[in-house]
Amino acid sequence: MDIGHLELNPRIINAVKKANLRSARDILSLSDSDLQRLTHLSASNVRSVRSAVALACRSRSPAVTALQLYRGERPALEPGHKLTTGCPALDSLLRGGVSLTGITELAGESGAGKTQLGLQLCLTVQYPREYGGLSSGAVFICTEDSFPIKRLRQLITLQSRLKADCPEDQRRRIPFSDNIYVEHAADLGALQTCISQRVPILLSQGLVRLVVVDSVAALFRCEFRPEETVERARHLLAFASTLHRLSHSFCAPVLCINQVTDVVDPSGLAVSNMGLAETKVLPALGMAWANQVLVRLMLRRMEGHKSVDGWSGTPRKLEVLLAPHLPRTSCLCSIVEEGVRGSFTPGSTPLD
Amino acid sequence: MQRTVSSLPIAPPVKVKLISSGFQYVADLCDLRPLQLSKEAGISQQEAVDVLQEVRGKRDQGVAPGGGLTALELFEKEQGLGSIVTFCSALDSVLGGGLPVGKTSEVCGAPGVGKTQLCIQLAVDVQIPLCFGGLGGHAVYIDTEGSFLVQRVVDMAEAAVKHCSLLAEDTEQREALKGFTLETILSNLFLFRCHDYVELLAEIYLLPDFLAQHPEVRLVVIDSIAFPFRHDFEDLSQRTRLLNGLAQQLIQMATQHNIAVVLTNQMTTKVGNGQSKLVPALGESWGHAATQRLILHWEGQQRLASLYKSPSHPEATVPYQITGEGFRDVITTDCLNVSADSSAIPSGNACKRLRLEGDNSHI
Repeated sequence: MDIGHLELNPRIINAVKKANLRSARDILSLSDSDLQRLTHLSASNVRSVRSAVALACRSRSPAVTALQLYRGERPALEPGHKLTTGCPALDSLLRGGVSLTGITELAGESGAGKTQLGLQLCLTVQYPREYGGLSSGAVFICTEDSFPIKRLRQLITLQSRLKADCPEDQRRRIPFSDNIYVEHAADLGALQTCISQRVPILLSQGLVRLVVVDSVAALFRCEFRPEETVERARHLLAFASTLHRLSHSFCAPVLCINQVTDVVDPSGLAVSNMGLAETKVLPALGMAWANQVLVRLMLRRMEGHKSVDGWSGTPRKLEVLLAPHLPRTSCLCSIVEEGVRGSFTPGSTPLD
Repeated sequence: MQRTVSSLPIAPPVKVKLISSGFQYVADLCDLRPLQLSKEAGISQQEAVDVLQEVRGKRDQGVAPGGGLTALELFEKEQGLGSIVTFCSALDSVLGGGLPVGKTSEVCGAPGVGKTQLCIQLAVDVQIPLCFGGLGGHAVYIDTEGSFLVQRVVDMAEAAVKHCSLLAEDTEQREALKGFTLETILSNLFLFRCHDYVELLAEIYLLPDFLAQHPEVRLVVIDSIAFPFRHDFEDLSQRTRLLNGLAQQLIQMATQHNIAVVLTNQMTTKVGNGQSKLVPALGESWGHAATQRLILHWEGQQRLASLYKSPSHPEATVPYQITGEGFRDVITTDCLNVSADSSAIPSGNACKRLRLEGDNSHI
């Protein structure tokens, strides 16, 4: 915001500029008498400066009613649309798919299938809107492993099986592997430059509409010693707020893959386990991170359970741990050749 | 009592000039005209006008009957304001009939415990027509986290409309129901989105104007106050100062416009004496900001609400649950099956079928 463009008397604008107050942040964080002292303006002048600045800040987000949102009159504020997972059972668990604004977290033990679901979303995002996608690409930020390119090739060739509702000629026109931008971040500094510099460029050019971070836990868990928790929380909040801002300004879903941590302190259970009394593992990174996510999902391997629907391999369970619009339910799913498929059939039980 | 000039909220340079030219007490200024004052004290005319406005404004306020209320008048006024029901009767009785109008309340809790759910529930319940014991007011919702999802508001609004239509007995109530539909509920809920604390400060600064234009507003929700203030702050003393200023503005708004202000706050882990516990975020001094403080927490699989700070009600803890319809009472053991069923959000048939079949397979 430029102070010079406010609708104010030039004399007042000059006084504000002379006092070296350049941004809305400077002006709104000062009290009225501080402003009077710095600018040598009268009380009524200071009040008019403050309301002009406040109005300029607000013009980006004027009041809307919930009805306007419901009818989809303000798509920038809340899109009615969601990003499909490619599987009807998983979509119905998530009430339509992954929310376009806010951070969606997917936690799970190693080998649970978190990356699989991340890859699958990188492909479904490329479908046109009528097939649940966003007709744009995805950026996949790897911090743990190298990008599983072989598996991606396999998924691309089997897309016809996953999304049978999309006609073949439409699908042929989508250059799936060209639209996935892979970033490797080996340390926190690289991750920070990636999400604060390169990802915004891709988003603003419309090349991508999905950000997948696989995984957030890896870097934050290894770069800090146990006694540096305060420092870690500060970095984590800065990271989360960058992602949050990106997601909201470009209306792009953000999927963060997270590791899990064992519950070691049974007395601490009652306060921070989110009502999951019987679980032995919880998503990693603690409360500081949990406060930042909109939807928290957990993927578990169900060892010793029979596979469902004739699918081979160990069945998995996808659970909703927290979300403002979803109940705590779960759904059995399985990782098959064409991707992650959920099941409508028995075995899908509520958590409790 | 003589008020000194130095205690007036005016710019320091002006204050110095006034005092050095011999104006010690406010009474000395009262009878002057702006031109006289500007000559005598060597300040500009504009400044002189400001000073005199400040002086006269203060004096008039002191004389006006609004300045002093007897306890009885205050009691009657507060009784008349009413409160917003939460749809959880246990919590309502702890709060003395619901969330008080004209006061600020803070709701703290870990992620996923139901802070946003309670806020959305209140934003719907404040609109219940007067003849059903509601307030028939409008709601303002300031969302800083992006967790306000209209899908969820629709669930709760539909449930509230259904609940009231079951209760409707006489013609007055049936008439009122015509104006209490999903569409009206949604159109009387004003949403502001703020992405950082600067936008939030700007919004709160302009909110009194909005409230003056919409006198029906009875509830202002800020969900959450913690989110924008917990990052990009190097200078924590500035944060404390801004938060205190914000709290003052909100209290003033609550009393002047007769609205209930609800703030949500996150929890943070406090480590001390070799053990850690969860405490509300934003530090010790913020604890004084709101009149009431409600903490939502888990115990095992049970959600509990504790009234932690209140000037008028004793501390208490009650259970509650979040169902598809919204924030509700916990149904006692003999009808456990019903509660399990109603915890599903009715989101299309697929989801429901999935759950019912799941239940059967377990039996």
